[in-house]
Amino acid sequence: MRSSIIQCQRLNHVYSGKAALSNVNFELDAGEPIGLVGPNGAGKTTLLSILSGFLRPTSGTVRLFGHPPGAAQLIGKISALPQDARLDPGFTLIEQLVFYARLQGLTKQQAILEANRVLQEVSLKEAVHEKPLVLSHGMAKRVAIAQALIGKPALILLDEPTAGLDPVNVRTVRAIIAEQSSEATFIISSHNLAELDRLCRQILLLENGMMQTEKISINEQQAATRFITLQMGPSPVQEVITKFKGIEGVLQVTNPQKNEFIVEYDPCLQPHMDQQLMRCINTHHWQYRQLSHGKTLEEKLFFKD
Amino acid sequence: MKPGFFNHLLLISHFELKRSFTTRKGLLSLVTFAVVWCVILVYPLRLVAELLLQEKDLMRYFNFFDFIGLGSIQQWHIPEFGVFWHFALLIFTMLSITVAADQTCSDRERGTLRFIVVRSSRDSVFFGRFAGVMVIQALLISATALSTLALVLYRDATLFASALTDLFVITVNLILAVLPFTAMMAALSAKVKSARQATVWAILIWTFLTGIISGFAYYLPVLSFFKFLVPGYQLSDLAQLSGWQTLQLAHVPLLQSFILLALGRWIMARQAL
Repeated sequence: MRSSIIQCQRLNHVYSGKAALSNVNFELDAGEPIGLVGPNGAGKTTLLSILSGFLRPTSGTVRLFGHPPGAAQLIGKISALPQDARLDPGFTLIEQLVFYARLQGLTKQQAILEANRVLQEVSLKEAVHEKPLVLSHGMAKRVAIAQALIGKPALILLDEPTAGLDPVNVRTVRAIIAEQSSEATFIISSHNLAELDRLCRQILLLENGMMQTEKISINEQQAATRFITLQMGPSPVQEVITKFKGIEGVLQVTNPQKNEFIVEYDPCLQPHMDQQLMRCINTHHWQYRQLSHGKTLEEKLFFKD
Repeated sequence: MKPGFFNHLLLISHFELKRSFTTRKGLLSLVTFAVVWCVILVYPLRLVAELLLQEKDLMRYFNFFDFIGLGSIQQWHIPEFGVFWHFALLIFTMLSITVAADQTCSDRERGTLRFIVVRSSRDSVFFGRFAGVMVIQALLISATALSTLALVLYRDATLFASALTDLFVITVNLILAVLPFTAMMAALSAKVKSARQATVWAILIWTFLTGIISGFAYYLPVLSFFKFLVPGYQLSDLAQLSGWQTLQLAHVPLLQSFILLALGRWIMARQAL
């Protein structure tokens, strides 16, 4: 049975007279990672800060597992990776993580084991006795993620977990989230749409402090029409569109970017559209780079029409 | 089992003690304090105490300490403790403003407080840090009082029993004296961005509050009651007392601390982290 882990009703937050969040209403269930996207200043960090209990909303109600943010009942149940938060430079990583684990109710021995476990998860076992100032940006980010994993919380809020990381570290972070997502629900705020596309089944879009009315689901299995996105090599645009349109079941073909085509089709008329498209490409000796089912997240969010 | 408020309070205050007694920065501050205190102990404190002892007869006729406003030193039957009492009242209240300035502000600015608050309540953090800083000050006060005791015993070991009473009275009184200053810094630290800002605000608030209340009280004496709100208001009266009498004014710092902690808690609960 699906259970609602977050409920926000008529949530508003005002900073110095400027509305950061306006009448935000949503409910989220436990499960697959949930993406939170929106342009700069849309209110993503404000929303995550309110959910984490770092910020009091100006008005409205928030419930996490039925409790207000910051409630004692939520200790150990939720954790957060706040944007740009840094550890205390005076203590080693292990000292701080053991302290955090002890605050969550672990005994000293359990806390030491848990701190070592989470540092191992983020491949930082060799840095346990280092102080935060000697860590690179990527390592500091991974430590911050490690603290969010302490005690296996049920809900993990990550604010820009991959911002400023190199591709290798991005991959590591993605692997951590993918691995842990069977045990915890992640809410991930990010500008990296490709990243969210890979990790999340559900997306929340914030614009100008307002939550878009419908949650965007990445799962299109129930939709009446479906999409295929094709990344092509250099190819004659008009000819490609014409030939694709000629395939039975194709409803529309668009060319939103250079060498990118989005094919909308009726799955009832043509259940194996991918194979038909490949056949067409092969017949005309065109080059293709990538074929993926569905639209990219960028297309879904910002180019709906 | 989830830890409760007091468990968190203990963990957080214990972490503060670790910060002062095990980190490089903390140890450096302690060594600096120890050196300064050694100088105070060996020179002004010991010399004034010796002067008091040697010139006892002379002072019956001309009292130098009365002349400079420190006559109450002579009421202490162990002069070292009389001098220590006056020095310590001034030093520890001043020191409290710097030692207690950074209870939460730099951690809040760095974002470290978020890692803690997601695992404990804001009340635990606020009172835990306050308790930690109070324990550190209590340890420093005790250490300096014990060093004074050692000085007394070096001069005359037979004074041990009576010196122990003075040591206890002074230690308790000094802890009470720094209590409202630490509470004031806890409240300021919950609001401002850095320890330096907290110190500057403490000095400004303290100076202006005293000045304004005194100014108004000059025209309307009933307003002098509000002097009661100023931390350290009782110190000048306290300096004139000796022995167990010093506890007569204990209610003043306790009430001031209660009010300031309530204010600080209110600020902390509403502060964005």
